[in-house]
Amino acid sequence: MSDPLLSVENLKTQFFTEDGTVRAVDGISFDVHEGEIVGLVGESGAGKSVATSSLLRLVDSPGEIVGGEVTFKGRTLFGLEEDANGDLRPRDDMLSEEEMRREIRGREIAIIFQDPMESLNPVFTVGGQLREFIELNRDLSEEEAKREAIDMLREVGIPAPETRYDEYPHQFSGGMRQRVLIAMALACQPDLIIADEPTTALDVTVEGQILAMVEELQRKYDTSFVWVTHDMSVVAEICDRVNVMYLGEIIEHATVDDLFYDTKHPYTRALLDSMPRPDETVHELNPIRGVMPEAIDPPSGCRFHPRCPDGREVCREVHPEPRDLAEAGEPTHRAACVKYDAFDVGYDESRPLEADVTGGFDAGLTETGGDE
Amino acid sequence: MSRTGGGDEPLLEVRELCKYFSDGGGLLGGMTLDPEFPFLKRRHGDVRAVESVSFDINEGETLGLVGESGCGKSTLARTVLRLLEPTSGSVYFKGEDLASLSGEPLRRKRKDMQMIFQDPQSSLDPRMKVGPIVEEPMKAHGMLDEEGREARAKELLEKVGLDPQHYNRYPHAFSGGQRQRVNLARALSVNPDFIVCDEPVSALDVSIQAQVLNTMRDLQEEFDLTYLFIAHDLSVIRHISDRVAVMYLGRVVEIADKEELFENPRHPYTRALLDAIPVPDPRSEGRTALLTGDVPSPIDPPSGCRFRTRCPSLIQPAAYDMTDPEWANVVAFQRAVKRRSFEATNRTAIRDRHFADAKPRGEAGSVVDEAIGHVAAGEWAEAERLLTESFADRSVCATDEPAYEVSPTYGESRHYAACHLVRDDAVAAGEETRLPTSAGGTADGSVVGNEADD
Repeated sequence: MSDPLLSVENLKTQFFTEDGTVRAVDGISFDVHEGEIVGLVGESGAGKSVATSSLLRLVDSPGEIVGGEVTFKGRTLFGLEEDANGDLRPRDDMLSEEEMRREIRGREIAIIFQDPMESLNPVFTVGGQLREFIELNRDLSEEEAKREAIDMLREVGIPAPETRYDEYPHQFSGGMRQRVLIAMALACQPDLIIADEPTTALDVTVEGQILAMVEELQRKYDTSFVWVTHDMSVVAEICDRVNVMYLGEIIEHATVDDLFYDTKHPYTRALLDSMPRPDETVHELNPIRGVMPEAIDPPSGCRFHPRCPDGREVCREVHPEPRDLAEAGEPTHRAACVKYDAFDVGYDESRPLEADVTGGFDAGLTETGGDE
Repeated sequence: MSRTGGGDEPLLEVRELCKYFSDGGGLLGGMTLDPEFPFLKRRHGDVRAVESVSFDINEGETLGLVGESGCGKSTLARTVLRLLEPTSGSVYFKGEDLASLSGEPLRRKRKDMQMIFQDPQSSLDPRMKVGPIVEEPMKAHGMLDEEGREARAKELLEKVGLDPQHYNRYPHAFSGGQRQRVNLARALSVNPDFIVCDEPVSALDVSIQAQVLNTMRDLQEEFDLTYLFIAHDLSVIRHISDRVAVMYLGRVVEIADKEELFENPRHPYTRALLDAIPVPDPRSEGRTALLTGDVPSPIDPPSGCRFRTRCPSLIQPAAYDMTDPEWANVVAFQRAVKRRSFEATNRTAIRDRHFADAKPRGEAGSVVDEAIGHVAAGEWAEAERLLTESFADRSVCATDEPAYEVSPTYGESRHYAACHLVRDDAVAAGEETRLPTSAGGTADGSVVGNEADD
């Protein structure tokens, strides 16, 4: 296979708070090839959004990217090296803040956020914002940029684009605003678009329209996507390959078909089992017990072990790194679970963990506990 | 007015309920600038959020209410509970008309009806401990003494799956799913018969959502509760409901048994909604035939069937005799012109673009030609007016309000579908479909009332 468009190696982002260090993203690795939609899926608090912001170096204080490497088309977006004293410092070939701003963000890698109202400026017209963005990034004259902006609006299915060009964001519905953002992301024909839960706030009917449009535009422009979502149905519909995140780590990576039909990690399995199905009537749902712990104090060993139906003593001690479990010749299928032979840490001999007597509800209480 | 209560009587009967909101009150409300003298125009128009909705909920059952955002689900729920004053219509709760109650009698009634809101964060007072939160409704209704209330609160916390020890904790110490459980406990504290759940699980992660849904079901059995469950997620609706009502733009378009609605939907909107649900399976074919366009404004909703402006199966006006592909092209062209979704070029290009496979002849054909001429000349408004007047407005969907009842394939419940397409299968039509007594269809199953007169 050719070199990946984007490759992420062991990326770590931490937040330094008064209560301690929150390891929001803790050593994730994945890559994105040309013309591919790669999913990043997980529950809220899994670190999906921090991971995507880290790719573009958009993490603000008290957060900091503390390790790892991000390469995009052979250029280093982030990379550290040790200096003579053993301290970490940015590598020489890492792009400067100026280069990131001028050459990468928006132009090469665009990002679409969940809430379109927060991404559009309410006091400027929609067309004006789109035009300005095209004008700045593509060095077009004002008229050319306006024509291009109207074309883009029509392309993403905004009715009567000439009239809507002069309207303000509040005059657009939620779905329309999201279309505008997609138009904006596509306007500079970037190689990669990061979509951070772009359809989560929308109705299913509108979500369907937007996903169909994205697939069509993706074929037309051959853009790659990193698609962040918590919705397995969206993953099934749109993604080529999927990374499942749990508490700052990628615990399973597979092609979309393998993920659903040859699920390896117990967390992914549990996530799939807990969803109500639209196409059949299910009498009892199988929820995952407990809630996701805080990233400030993750469980030892495998981070999923307190909620895992297959948890054993050994899971409490051994921290598994994802390993490729696919058979030779099959596409990569990485999972981080010691129950597979590839890990060989004595899972079979280990004693099953006792089920938590409180059913795991205690796990959701924050550090302060609120007793005082 | 009161009705006598009986064993099979529905717990809640909603009849012809309407709720309008006035469009911007105040001195300058509804004022718009106008280019011509007198430069200011005052627009009158109510937002017709809920219009002429009727349904029953039987004791111990869950009625799911589903629809897109902005269709009036929450307004309907609040109007049913008399949190909003209905514009017209009645709501009978255990035979008593809530719409006619006010003051102290209404307040006392509220003990039997509770509500759970979508956002578990903002529906709990952050400065109150969980225990007192659960006790507050009991206090308001003068139930038990202080010790009794505390004991009951603790018992309820346990029932909803929390630790009674959490009595003294503040809401911030709980996760979203747990907060929703506190909401449940609070609603249950006054021992209600009926709970309106307004999107109770949509803010929660799937794994937590399943926990809360299971708990709600268990509680329903234990306390013999009746739910009106609002959600936009059809998977959740399918899981929890016994019967389902589908709402579009302020009107209920279809009500049927859950199995019947999901397996045998009769209204094109219900079908479109079902087709739009993503299936968590990469090998499924994905969503088919997506709806186009946006929901029209509830200030000036379409006449007849409100869904007709987006309906994929709009009925051809009786005046024309087009084939199905021809009619489909005409409808698509009319909607494209309305949305201005293509660029005006010359006649041939427009014709090829919209009528390549089938172009109507005769009277319809000449109207289409005239409209194409207008578009080619850049006269969008004329083209739109011509097409709308000649085709869309003459369809039975625009002239008559649909209301039919068909016999169900699954289950026993009545199947109401507001679509003219089912008129040939209808066992009841028009006003009859809303009468509570005409359950199950007519005795001989004959087709009645092809023309619904409204």
